[in-house]
Amino acid sequence: MKVQEMALLNVQGVTKRFGGLVALNNVELSIKEGEIVGLIGPNGAGKTTLFNIICGFYKPDAGKVEFDGRNITGMKPYEICKLGISRTFQIPRPFPDLTAIYNVALAVMYGKDRANMSLGDALLDAAHYLEFVGLLRKRDVLARDLTPFELRLLELARALATTPKLLLIDETMAGLNPVECERALELINRARDEFKLTICWIEHVMRIIMKAAERVVVLHYGMKIAEGAPEEVARDVKVIEAYLGERRARG
Amino acid sequence: MWETLSAVIVYGLVLGSLWLLVSIGFSLICGVLRIFYLGYGITFTMAIYVTWMFLSDFKLRLDIAIALMIVVQLAFSFLIYRGLIQRYLASEEILVTALLLVQIIIEEAINYKYPAITGVSIPTMILTGLCSVGGASISIQLVISAIVAILFTAIITLVLLKSKLGLIVRALSQDQKTAMLMGADVHRLFALAMMISVIPPSICALLLAPLWSVEPYMGSSFFITALLISILGSVGNLKGTIIASYLIGLIHSSVSFLINPRLMNLAALVFTLAFLSFRSEGLTRSESLW
Amino acid sequence: MKIELKRSRLEVRLDYKKLKLAWTIEPRYWRNPLLAWLALCALPLLSLMGGLQWLSIFTTANLCATIALPLLLQIIGTGRVNLGPQLFVALGGYTAGLLSINYKMEALQTLPIVIVVALLVGLSLSLLTILARGIYFSLITLIIPLVFMEITFVFSDVFKGETGIYGITPLFRLGSHLINSIAYYYASLMILTLYLFLVDKILRSRWGMVYAAINNDEDVAMMMGVDINRHKIFVFTVTSVLTAIAGWFFAHYFGTFAGVTYLPFTFMIKILFIVLIGGRAQAYGTIAGAYFVSILDELLRSYLGNISHFVFPSILLVLLVALPEGLWGIYRKHKYREIYPTIRIRR
Repeated sequence: MKVQEMALLNVQGVTKRFGGLVALNNVELSIKEGEIVGLIGPNGAGKTTLFNIICGFYKPDAGKVEFDGRNITGMKPYEICKLGISRTFQIPRPFPDLTAIYNVALAVMYGKDRANMSLGDALLDAAHYLEFVGLLRKRDVLARDLTPFELRLLELARALATTPKLLLIDETMAGLNPVECERALELINRARDEFKLTICWIEHVMRIIMKAAERVVVLHYGMKIAEGAPEEVARDVKVIEAYLGERRARG
Repeated sequence: MWETLSAVIVYGLVLGSLWLLVSIGFSLICGVLRIFYLGYGITFTMAIYVTWMFLSDFKLRLDIAIALMIVVQLAFSFLIYRGLIQRYLASEEILVTALLLVQIIIEEAINYKYPAITGVSIPTMILTGLCSVGGASISIQLVISAIVAILFTAIITLVLLKSKLGLIVRALSQDQKTAMLMGADVHRLFALAMMISVIPPSICALLLAPLWSVEPYMGSSFFITALLISILGSVGNLKGTIIASYLIGLIHSSVSFLINPRLMNLAALVFTLAFLSFRSEGLTRSESLW
Repeated sequence: MKIELKRSRLEVRLDYKKLKLAWTIEPRYWRNPLLAWLALCALPLLSLMGGLQWLSIFTTANLCATIALPLLLQIIGTGRVNLGPQLFVALGGYTAGLLSINYKMEALQTLPIVIVVALLVGLSLSLLTILARGIYFSLITLIIPLVFMEITFVFSDVFKGETGIYGITPLFRLGSHLINSIAYYYASLMILTLYLFLVDKILRSRWGMVYAAINNDEDVAMMMGVDINRHKIFVFTVTSVLTAIAGWFFAHYFGTFAGVTYLPFTFMIKILFIVLIGGRAQAYGTIAGAYFVSILDELLRSYLGNISHFVFPSILLVLLVALPEGLWGIYRKHKYREIYPTIRIRR
């Protein structure tokens, strides 16, 4: 008997205005459990704003967000985190005064809806996550002293430490050389298999997203203009127009 | 009843105009340098006492004394900028403490040289006597000061909006780094802003000296008002400062006439806090100077 | 409860119902603080030789440190710099003083009421930590004490205006002036030790970790699951109560309490300076800073007289510029083992 799969994340009709600027206009997004969905679009399309709304950092002016069957629109970010949504940031935002292991330990202690943990246990747990991303030997280094690539690994470790069901990745590949890109991609794939994650991934590095994502959603000026398998979307006229301009699309 | 109402409105407008002079300097520094010159109150005190020093100790004429005082103030603000602000622009906690220390040092030095009992009086009364404005009786000096304040604000606004220098300053207030890339000589402009911001408080202090009491710690109450107005009008935004000055002026006058004159500052504080709880960015929610 | 000995560390684990706590007790790091504390305990002997007013200065130094320590915790825990800690000092002092002269209450009786009053006021003002950010918060907290001072002038009959309240029941009435002074010193030292222990332990615990996170980046902490508002309100209220207790002690120690001594900038800058010169977020450094500032103040006052009023802040300014890391920077050994949250005023 086939059970109809309910979407893990359901974003319906979300609109967000900042003063006169419409950042998101009636955006609809549905992610099923276990998928990797890529979210692409030119700069200023509203992708990070959408992530901020899903995480609860902003409240949408209209529309609703449903996660795992619950309406999470307007919930506080820390409640949403405990429900199982976690994110990384475009420009890594660690806690510079804490060491790497404490950065992750914070997420371990507060990111999940679980009984009280002692600091020692949290640090042990944090060590596992650091080991997974490969930062264990830097565990006692202050976050402000880490290299940019290590900071991205730390972001990933911190996001994973909150044991999310849905991981929102915001442009981890920006500014990385091809070797680092491959490493990061392999890490994310491993994380997805090992921790049973669903991933929604904003990315600009096209070859990565086309390789990794099963489905791609394209935003432009706050509206969804295309959705589908990567190859289809790459050939879609509207998408080419958005990225390269009208003349290119026709020609 | 009608008399009280007209007094409230007239004094509110006059006070509001005076507060313009008081707060424009602070807003200018906040808006352009993006720092909080917590020693701002000292400009008022120095205006009075330096002029007094030239008048009584050096026995100079009033206009020369005032001119020299302006020179001293400009030099002092330049030194403060070069010595402290330029070095600690990045670490604000040191800057805040240092500027406060500067204020305390100067205040105590003035208090030591001219303690409150010396009769300090600056003969800057232009016209004595009262006049009747809109049914309320008000000192002519205050009215003249209000007019001077409005003129001064108008000049500054014109320069800011119409001149090339104003354009650069506005750009600088929005994004320091980009303005530097565009060729603006940031440090010179900062020094210029600091020096210009010294002039309105000096004028205000000189005009008000014959009317209101003068003592070494007088800067604090002016500072509180300037601070409240700046916070209310979105720190560093001139439009907001202008609106906020009149708002606070009206609050001061209504509380003075209707409740108790000594509760003026408290009323202004409560109003500002209440306003901030609705709009935590202040009146105009703007990040730039205009 | 389990106690394990690992190398030279003692680990205590406590599982009480749903709460899991673990403490690491490392005696090898105790040597320096313990020596310093013993030196502080022995100070009265020194002052007996130098004169009794030194004991009074040391007591004041202890009290300044007891104001600076909660301020430090508050700045880190709320992520905002409170430029008006003296408000609660005055609140505690006036409450104690007024209760004492109007209702003839003893010192230990006024204490619970001071705590309750500070709790209520702290709770209501803690909303500011949610409403105002960065520099706005600092500016507002800067003026609140000044406005409070104006209120005390407006209601002069209640607050006794500029001269303040006098005739407050003293905390100790043990016979001779000497024994009283020594008792006050040890009482203030006891409060200081308690606060130091509290602040240090909190900063090294998991709550210290959360506070460091809130201090660094509130929004990210919120997205990692931390209920920042609850933590900020808690820290603000508790540190306000601790500060008010210092005010209570001032009132019952000097027997007089006047707002003009504590509310203007001069007192606040001393406390702020102690926090900064102590090395910003170094609990032990604040004590060194407090003693340094108090001794400097007294030396200048006795040798220079009136000029000291502006020489003292000048020296503070020079030190601020010359020692960016504070006194603690001279002492500190570089260890990555510790979390070093720092205080900064952000937009």
